[in-house]
Amino acid sequence: MAKKKGLLHEFTKGLVIENPVLRLVLGTCPTLAVSTSVESALGMGAAASIVLICSNIVISALKKVIPSKVRIPAYIVIIASFVTIVQMVVKAFAPQIDEQLGVYLPLIVVNCIILGRAEAFACKNSVIASAVDGMGMGVGFTAALLLMGAIREFFGTGAIAGMQILPESISPMLIFILPPGGFFVFGMLIACANKLADKKGLSKAELKGCEDCPMAGSCSIREEIENSQKAKKEDGKEAVNS
Amino acid sequence: MKNIKVFAIPALALFLICLIATTLLAVTNSVTAPMIDELAQQTELETRQIVLPSATAFSEEKTVPGASATYVEGTKDGAVSGYVFVTVTKGYGGDVKIMTGVDADGKVTGVYPLELNETAGLGMNAKNDSFLNQFLGKVEGIKVTKSGATGNEIQALTGATITSNAVTGAVNEALGYYKMIKEAE
Amino acid sequence: MKMMLAILLTGILTENFVLAKFLGICPFLGVSKKLNTAVGMSAAVIFVMVLSTAVTYPINILLVKNDLEYLQTIVFILVIAALVQLVEIVLKKYIPALYNALGIYLPLITTNCAVLGVVLLNIENSYTFVQSVMNSLGAGLGFMLAMVMFAGVRERLESCDVPKFLQGLPITLIAASLVSVSFLGFSGIIEGIFG
Repeated sequence: MAKKKGLLHEFTKGLVIENPVLRLVLGTCPTLAVSTSVESALGMGAAASIVLICSNIVISALKKVIPSKVRIPAYIVIIASFVTIVQMVVKAFAPQIDEQLGVYLPLIVVNCIILGRAEAFACKNSVIASAVDGMGMGVGFTAALLLMGAIREFFGTGAIAGMQILPESISPMLIFILPPGGFFVFGMLIACANKLADKKGLSKAELKGCEDCPMAGSCSIREEIENSQKAKKEDGKEAVNS
Repeated sequence: MKNIKVFAIPALALFLICLIATTLLAVTNSVTAPMIDELAQQTELETRQIVLPSATAFSEEKTVPGASATYVEGTKDGAVSGYVFVTVTKGYGGDVKIMTGVDADGKVTGVYPLELNETAGLGMNAKNDSFLNQFLGKVEGIKVTKSGATGNEIQALTGATITSNAVTGAVNEALGYYKMIKEAE
Repeated sequence: MKMMLAILLTGILTENFVLAKFLGICPFLGVSKKLNTAVGMSAAVIFVMVLSTAVTYPINILLVKNDLEYLQTIVFILVIAALVQLVEIVLKKYIPALYNALGIYLPLITTNCAVLGVVLLNIENSYTFVQSVMNSLGAGLGFMLAMVMFAGVRERLESCDVPKFLQGLPITLIAASLVSVSFLGFSGIIEGIFG
């Protein structure tokens, strides 16, 4: 029972409390870029979720095989492979989605959420837990994107998911589907999320700077370099000594 | 010996991961590539049919005499019923790629935007039939006007004159190629 | 030449990577608190963008020749990651002054979506080598312009009385929205000058 409850928690935490977009402020680039309509938001959410779940599963399955020294490049290779596979499948079966997402589809590779989850969760937990975590985060990401997409599409074009809701005579507020609208809606949603979190006694969503972005896992790359350089120096000393 | 453990093993592991990943990608590619090609060909055929509805078959790509552009001949019952051109002009947000169908008399039979990166809600309205259908039956030298289009004129999209000009320019270019083909005949 | 200038200006103003294309938002929001870090970060981004464009261009030709286009994403991200590390090591050893100025920002760029984005967009637009480099330079300079402007806005924001509801990240995003509105004013300017 306890284990089941644990799994359920792994799933639900990604939806609300640790929502990757609105609480952890990760993956902001695709969130702002493709949330101009419900349709493209759904396409991006689905594509990123599939990559997230698959890479979480593979990375946690291989966690003992991958040497920690090369783990970041290894994760990147695994994630990039899944992104490319998703890209091919989307091109073959749903070309209109490929057209809508454009360059943002291959850019899922550098989506902070995916490498972030690999670093923070998948490399420490079991395959099943990682898969569930990926699902929760994926659904949370998709839900946040959909919310933004719906708000921007409704105000910007007067329609939701392509269905006209406002009468044509009311001129829509175009600015909402233009770039400034993206920043504005995102800011307002974060404010609302903060307000709700405040009521529950949780901390505010903050972007603490790139140093904390797990995506800049490069920080750990730097550690690796320093370590390897230390190792090199030590090796050098040993060589001299012997 | 220590060097081998420290450097060779991680390098080997990374190499193996890359190898497996590449193999997987190659397999997926070999499955999806033919499907993507087929889909592209099918869409091309369908869009040709949209801009030149009278044709039942299309020729191979041919070069416009005296120009570097290519075109496709649409035929019906063995006779040439029209031509399909793809022309590119500069719009507001980059290239505007337009497929234009012209019948044997030099009248536009259809316009279809293949590539359009204009402002959503303004220039992107150039995808709408209400704008594109204005081109039907027009002949060379189409002009853009902001209000009250008459004769060989097109009513510009509200707030997107540059896009309207770009699309019209592309159609006019296609009509120019049509003229060159006719003159060469 | 006219074309080069048009590509450059498009990257800086109309198609600004941060404010119009939403690439590189993480550093835009994260490192723009102070003017000097904003400048340092964007200088590093320009450097890496131009360098990785120059390196990936011949690699892409090789990939296309061998019908391996499907490996683009995976190869480019690895090349960029390796390149950044290489640059870091070389700078550290030979040009310590430059390393001290840019070094700490370099690792943060490895997986910055703006760098991979510019490389992929160059290929999508089938630019020539010089055009690709120009486009990367424009994108980098545009990134810098947005960063510097926004750093200025944020420094002013620090001393403002912001409603409690919007304090922190929300007001930053709304400020970004207003900066983005000002960049909308540039749209069409390139066609106006060069068209």
